[in-house]
Amino acid sequence: MGTLRGRRVTRLLGSLTVVVLAVLPWVLARHQLSLLTDLLIFGLFALSLDLILGYTGMVSFGHAAYFGLGAYGSALTLIHFGQPIPVALLAGAALAGLVAAPVGWFSTRATGIYFAMLTLAFAQLLYTVAYKWRDLTGGSDGIAGVPKTALYWGGPSLASPRAFYFVVAVVLVVSFVLCRALARSPFGRALQAIRENERRFIALGRDPRPLKLLVFIVAAVFAGLAGALFAPFRGFASPEVMFWVLSGQGLMMVITGGIGTLVGPIVGAMVFILVQEILSTYTEHWMIFTGLIFVLMVIFLPGGLVGTARRLVSRA
Amino acid sequence: MSLILEQLLNALALAGLLFLVSAGLSLVFGILRVVNFAHGVFYMLGAYLGFTTVAVTGWFWPSLLIVPPVVGLVGALLEASTLRFIYRRLPIYQLLLTFGLALILEESIRVLYGPTAKGVEPPPLLQGAISLGGLLYPRYRLFLVVLGLVVGAAVWLILTRTRAGLVVRAVAQNAEMADCLGADVARVRTLVFGAACALAGLGGVAAAPMTTAYLGMGIGVIVDAFVVVVIGGLGSIPGSMAGSLIVGAAQTWGAFYLPETAMVIMYAVMGLILIFRPWGLFGEEE
Repeated sequence: MGTLRGRRVTRLLGSLTVVVLAVLPWVLARHQLSLLTDLLIFGLFALSLDLILGYTGMVSFGHAAYFGLGAYGSALTLIHFGQPIPVALLAGAALAGLVAAPVGWFSTRATGIYFAMLTLAFAQLLYTVAYKWRDLTGGSDGIAGVPKTALYWGGPSLASPRAFYFVVAVVLVVSFVLCRALARSPFGRALQAIRENERRFIALGRDPRPLKLLVFIVAAVFAGLAGALFAPFRGFASPEVMFWVLSGQGLMMVITGGIGTLVGPIVGAMVFILVQEILSTYTEHWMIFTGLIFVLMVIFLPGGLVGTARRLVSRA
Repeated sequence: MSLILEQLLNALALAGLLFLVSAGLSLVFGILRVVNFAHGVFYMLGAYLGFTTVAVTGWFWPSLLIVPPVVGLVGALLEASTLRFIYRRLPIYQLLLTFGLALILEESIRVLYGPTAKGVEPPPLLQGAISLGGLLYPRYRLFLVVLGLVVGAAVWLILTRTRAGLVVRAVAQNAEMADCLGADVARVRTLVFGAACALAGLGGVAAAPMTTAYLGMGIGVIVDAFVVVVIGGLGSIPGSMAGSLIVGAAQTWGAFYLPETAMVIMYAVMGLILIFRPWGLFGEEE
């Protein structure tokens, strides 16, 4: 997509997406808009995971922890301090980043599968803390009644589904632009060099660990942002949002959409949730079919939807 | 004194179960280079099949012999029909494939057995307590200690003293070279995967009388088993054994002295070990 034509196509698709995102809330029914908001939130979550998985080649199996920290951080800010939504978003993202720093410091000491297992172990630890620290987190019941407060102090309320949708859409678009800029910056190039050949990177005299730690924290901050949107949107935060299942699903979303493409994970998250939504209306045992689709996908479509589509387009 | 003995035995019983699960996980990684996320589900499958066998035959002992081969067969079939095709890909794809398999198996068990936990009676010989120098200790837990030791010794002997073990170790060390020297690598992988699942199944049967068979027991044990192999080193059987003992001890003493933070202790121990040995006690740098 480096060609002039490719860049034009990308720009056209980008503007078209923004227009569609702006128009959709005026045409969709209430429950459809709610579903779309959900899709965008998890799109942001998958996007953040792609930074470490797709661009740095680090498999984190504990990414849900940062989504959950964001959700708790935002829920507590909204309930106890009644701050506007942007403050809650910052609080959630900051909490995720703060916890990711020590976890990342430990985990990036290891590589490959060890890294995956360490992140999983730390995530399960955080899940346990959320589960046990009843006074703060409400234990297994979680925190209910998280309000959608105002846009700023004394500003308009975001309680209406459409208003909140726009907050989510703007956050996603801005995050996407930031992530894309990051991926194309010298820092992003260095991350891709680590992914391609870490030993060579070291042999060239560079130390990969500070960069890996930094991208781990950045990804956690964006995941925290997604979680911080999730809590007021759904009105609650519970330990479930930190559970390993969500971490696994996040990886599935990235793979479904296309690893290392940034757009792919967002598409993947949407497809993944829509498929679940559709399956669950037909059968209560949708997990079997999700698992099945997933196994087939991994075997037959390794590039994911966007990766495969791009290959087809460039061949045509 | 008797308190210390009791705690020690509890730790050993837990370590026995953890070893049955983590040894297979470690073995599969050593030979196939795959982290099998579905491994815990095979443990759960073992527990449920144990329940069925006991319900049908009215006896506990046969289940220890019948269930592991069945679980192993299921595992080998799944390996041959899915995993076999993607060994050349990045590790993430194999991890995710086993994640998909775990979802399918877990939900299938829910469909077959329903959501309620299934209790399994221990055999009469192992019911009640036995007196050990003034300490009354549950017989069944003592059995778990013995089972862990016996299976651990058996796996070790097979790997180091038999021809089959030799081939397995050769494949682990250098699959291409082993292939050139005439080893059927694809078959070794399938058999090892099956054997590892059988071990997990045995662990599940053995655990059922103590923990009951319930949904979600698979993920509970797989996270612990991950910690065990991270501490011990992936692909190392002695590592699994050491890791099981450490995690068993950390959980037992943690649960007794600091019940609210038992989990934290386990991870703290893991973190401490990893600072000094990032590849685990017996592991080798990749």
